[in-house]
Amino acid sequence: MAASEAILEVRDIHTFIGQFHILEGVNVNLPRGSIGVLLGRNGAGKTTTLRTIMGITPPRSGEIRFEGQRLNGMRSFGVARLGIGYVPEHRAIFKGLTVRENLHIAERRSGDFARKADLIFDLFPDLKRLVHLPGGNLSGGQQQMLAIARALVPDNRLLLIDEPSEGLAPVIIEQLMHAIRRLSEQTTVLLVEQNFRMASQLADRYTIIDEGRSAVAGDMRDLVKDQALIQRYLGVA
Amino acid sequence: MLRRTLASNWFYVVLMIALIILPHAIGWVSGDSPFGVRGRPVGQSIYWQGILIEVFVLAVLAMSYNLVFGFTGVISFGHALFFGIGGYILGVVLEYTDLTGEVGLLIGIGLTLIISAVLGLVIGMVTLRLRGVYFAMFTLAVAEMFYIFFSRLALTRAEDGFALTELPVWIDPTRSRLTFYYIALALLAATFLFIRRLIFSPTGAVLLAVRENEERARTIGFDTLRFKLLAITLAGMIASLAGLVQVILNKKVGPEVLNVSNTIDPLLMTIIGGAGTFTGPVIGAAGLHLGDRLLRDLVIEVGGASIDIGANWALILGIVFILVVLVFPYGIVGTFRRWRTKQAK
Repeated sequence: MAASEAILEVRDIHTFIGQFHILEGVNVNLPRGSIGVLLGRNGAGKTTTLRTIMGITPPRSGEIRFEGQRLNGMRSFGVARLGIGYVPEHRAIFKGLTVRENLHIAERRSGDFARKADLIFDLFPDLKRLVHLPGGNLSGGQQQMLAIARALVPDNRLLLIDEPSEGLAPVIIEQLMHAIRRLSEQTTVLLVEQNFRMASQLADRYTIIDEGRSAVAGDMRDLVKDQALIQRYLGVA
Repeated sequence: MLRRTLASNWFYVVLMIALIILPHAIGWVSGDSPFGVRGRPVGQSIYWQGILIEVFVLAVLAMSYNLVFGFTGVISFGHALFFGIGGYILGVVLEYTDLTGEVGLLIGIGLTLIISAVLGLVIGMVTLRLRGVYFAMFTLAVAEMFYIFFSRLALTRAEDGFALTELPVWIDPTRSRLTFYYIALALLAATFLFIRRLIFSPTGAVLLAVRENEERARTIGFDTLRFKLLAITLAGMIASLAGLVQVILNKKVGPEVLNVSNTIDPLLMTIIGGAGTFTGPVIGAAGLHLGDRLLRDLVIEVGGASIDIGANWALILGIVFILVVLVFPYGIVGTFRRWRTKQAK
């Protein structure tokens, strides 16, 4: 089954931050071309899972593979260069750089930005008229768009996006969802999302992380129908 | 193109012209020739040239410190090492080899640049993995180690140091101070332009990104260690050139060039003027050094009490520093710029 070949395989990772055992066995399997979402309560370990994949908080045991290549032991700039774009939570832009500089800096080969500019400004038209402004002057939603746009500049084949909807107005969330859906036509996406409505509308695959372990995983369509499961792990109706 | 460049940089152009004319202006007003009197380095113009050369040296030193501290966000306490090493290398070359005059000077400058670059790379590679205050402490320890070694070592003539007697006439500040003034001014201008060019380049954007959030820069795909290494190495090379100018002005190298004050002063000048701005370190250096020079011998009479400014200079400087940090939290230039952007909105 070439179509559903896994682009990302995370197998039984254990991550410690200081002396704290944060991830106690997380598995994620993401087919190429899909949108996956990590669900779970606050503090369950969703963000740490993304940070572990990126090599920011490396796993003590377990295995991470991207397109078959082991990521264990690689540092985050090496992981990024393989073709993984990471959009951390809290609108992770460079406030001191202009919008253009924020995008330009993400080039992995020269000309990346020029090649992607049309796509980026098509997805996020707001950014086009703001290119000369410092990132810090943008609104929260615009900063989030810039953060995602930055991950689109190089040819990333996997995007890790942490809580894109956090603190944004419903209209902006709508816009972001539309953009993420469109960019998923070209790349695989792994989201962390608290907003279950957004997650359920976007994602094909889900993994529920509970107390540092991946508890359940499967097809999003099945989860939406399973109220008991949702109630048990997410506490939302 | 040229007109646009001139229009947007008129302030720097005017300042530059003023600094070029200044020795002659002082000479004209005071009646003392800017070239000295009867071949001897005396007179008002010569005196002020000396002070301004010191300002230029400190400004270059502060700008180099700002490249690391202000633009890259790395706090180093070892900058005096680079400042001092430049002078010592020139001293050793002129003292221990038969090279004199232009050849000795050129080889001294070349070796200074090479050795300070190597030192910057080695110290950076060993220490940059340390974070924040640990890095700062380590650089302080390394710089102090050199200070203690060089003030005891027979090779560097211990406390005495060297007198630089074999300089070419055209650069010798006791014989051609005006030429040397222009050389120091050229170094100031070149450093300013170089740092501005660097910061506006793609590499500069990465340095600013590292300053703002190193982890974020790393997850985009930058080996941030390399960029910090580059900043430290370039800053070290620039600082060593500043040290070179300083020892040529004094015609003497001694352990004092490695003193920790050559780290603290540029740090204060950078913070007071505005860290992470282009003009801030220059303004900080000029303000502090001119203030020191002008007020040193001043005694103020307030009512019956007389306050000896010179004797209490450190105390006054401390108060000024506290006030500046309170009133201008981003330094003079930085705070002014923020205020202006706010006005514009």
